[in-house]
Amino acid sequence: MAGFVAHLDADAFYVSAERVRHTDLAGKPVGVLGNNGACVIAKSYEMKAMGVKTGTPIWDAAKLCPEGVYVKRDFYWYEVLSRRMLAAVGAFTPRIEYYSIDEFFFEALPTSHKTDLARTATSIRDHILEAAGLPVTIGVARTRTLAKLFSDTGKPFGAVAVLDRDHERELLAKLPVTEISGIAGRRAARIAPYGINTCLDLADAPGRLVKQLLTKTGYEIWLELNGTPVLPIRTDRPPHKVLARGGSLMGNVADPKVLWAWCVRHVERLIEELRYHSVRTTALAVQVCWKSGDSTGGTTAISTPTDKFDELLDAARTSLRGAYIPRGTATHLHVLATELRRGQGFQMSLFDRPDPRTVKIAAVKQAVNDKLGRFTLRSGETLRLPAVYADPANQFDICDIRGKICF
Amino acid sequence: MCVALALPASELPDAVVEALAPRVYTRDTGGREVRFYWRAVPALLPVWWGGQLRVVRWGSRDRNGRLPPTGWTWKQSVEEGRWAALAPEEVEVPANYGFMNGVWYRVKQGAKGLLVRTPAGEPVVYLVCEPATRYYKVMTRAEWMPVLVGEVI
Repeated sequence: MAGFVAHLDADAFYVSAERVRHTDLAGKPVGVLGNNGACVIAKSYEMKAMGVKTGTPIWDAAKLCPEGVYVKRDFYWYEVLSRRMLAAVGAFTPRIEYYSIDEFFFEALPTSHKTDLARTATSIRDHILEAAGLPVTIGVARTRTLAKLFSDTGKPFGAVAVLDRDHERELLAKLPVTEISGIAGRRAARIAPYGINTCLDLADAPGRLVKQLLTKTGYEIWLELNGTPVLPIRTDRPPHKVLARGGSLMGNVADPKVLWAWCVRHVERLIEELRYHSVRTTALAVQVCWKSGDSTGGTTAISTPTDKFDELLDAARTSLRGAYIPRGTATHLHVLATELRRGQGFQMSLFDRPDPRTVKIAAVKQAVNDKLGRFTLRSGETLRLPAVYADPANQFDICDIRGKICF
Repeated sequence: MCVALALPASELPDAVVEALAPRVYTRDTGGREVRFYWRAVPALLPVWWGGQLRVVRWGSRDRNGRLPPTGWTWKQSVEEGRWAALAPEEVEVPANYGFMNGVWYRVKQGAKGLLVRTPAGEPVVYLVCEPATRYYKVMTRAEWMPVLVGEVI
């Protein structure tokens, strides 16, 4: 029997996670707010029915859904449940891809020779509800692209197994082509003149035309739509090509000293990641988004691969200088390690001197933070961000969850 | 600040819920909850007091009375001893939801309150507030927030 792929997607994951620990929220319109408390980043089906969308500002959401209850996000708790869900799926199959915090792909294996895949999907769905308290939808199909498309049609709390071509075609005909992950906006506009509007239109289009219009990526999607598995289940995350930390500055930042404090905070977070992945970088980039709509960046090359705070800080200072717009008001900042090298056995430059003191200081800093909590010992530059460090929920950001493939 | 608190009806004794029937609401298909609005007459709040859950008057609207004509007090005032003459008691106001400027938000346990007595001996509770965190300010557009039990929003 040919292998089948399952796609699992938690239903309104953040809201469901809040309902696990706050059972009184069941059945109520619930919105989870993002890092700043300004926008809805997840909503329950009840709130969605009132017209609230992901990204809706709280002041608009409260008007659309006056009875809605808003909850402060807690990514630490969401990760706990995400991993609980991962472990529950692991009881059914050894090959799982931790795609994102609320989505997995896995090899669909019948639970017994008497059980078909539709019943297996239902069993896994029910098991997760029991083990983690989370409602999920599972789609099973010949390829991961099909599985993802079909699981979306089964939401919420569905278990869909689409195992033959006729059934696939029936469902694909109902789905707009923009439902396919990777085909939106410009790509959809490029294929529309050829009469390709639904997923079935794309599947039935000549492969050569698809390749011409959508390049190799689009061609792979086309193969998957036609039942040829191209995209494998990745049980391990491929090595990062770039590591980055950053995000919103919790409002507008016009003071360059505060902007620098944010930059230092993200350098410290980036170092955590570099060490976790045992890599170093030979380039550090800083990207800044400005209130004016501009986006600027600066990159600094580093002669020897490094994960040292002082060296990265020097590079960040130069990069930020390159990205800085005098008297500008910044809204977002990211720090990126763009040239990663393995952490051991790299070539030093002729002018590098061993610096055991710096190494020891870094080790002490890490040991203190490991023992007493993240950011217990941190750069004095970050004292300009008291609100960030006073809020324990700010110690944990969504992108800090390791091992998942996608954001 | 916070102009209303709500508690699931299941958290209150049936007799209390029955007595507060006009204040019982249901959101969508969720369970029933009892809402305590400042604008309600009389304004009431549930409090844990003397080991019991009781519903008492929320603040005072009497401008000529002995008690401050408000429903809130500042944490700093309490710490500075400005309420000392009224022999206040710290109490917990159990709540699952707070409400301010049209936004209902989830709280874990409730808020802190200050309980004093009228000259007639009737208990009255004031919600204790502190300057709002940035998050609370953005979420509710309020400059002050209730002091919550076991959390800061």
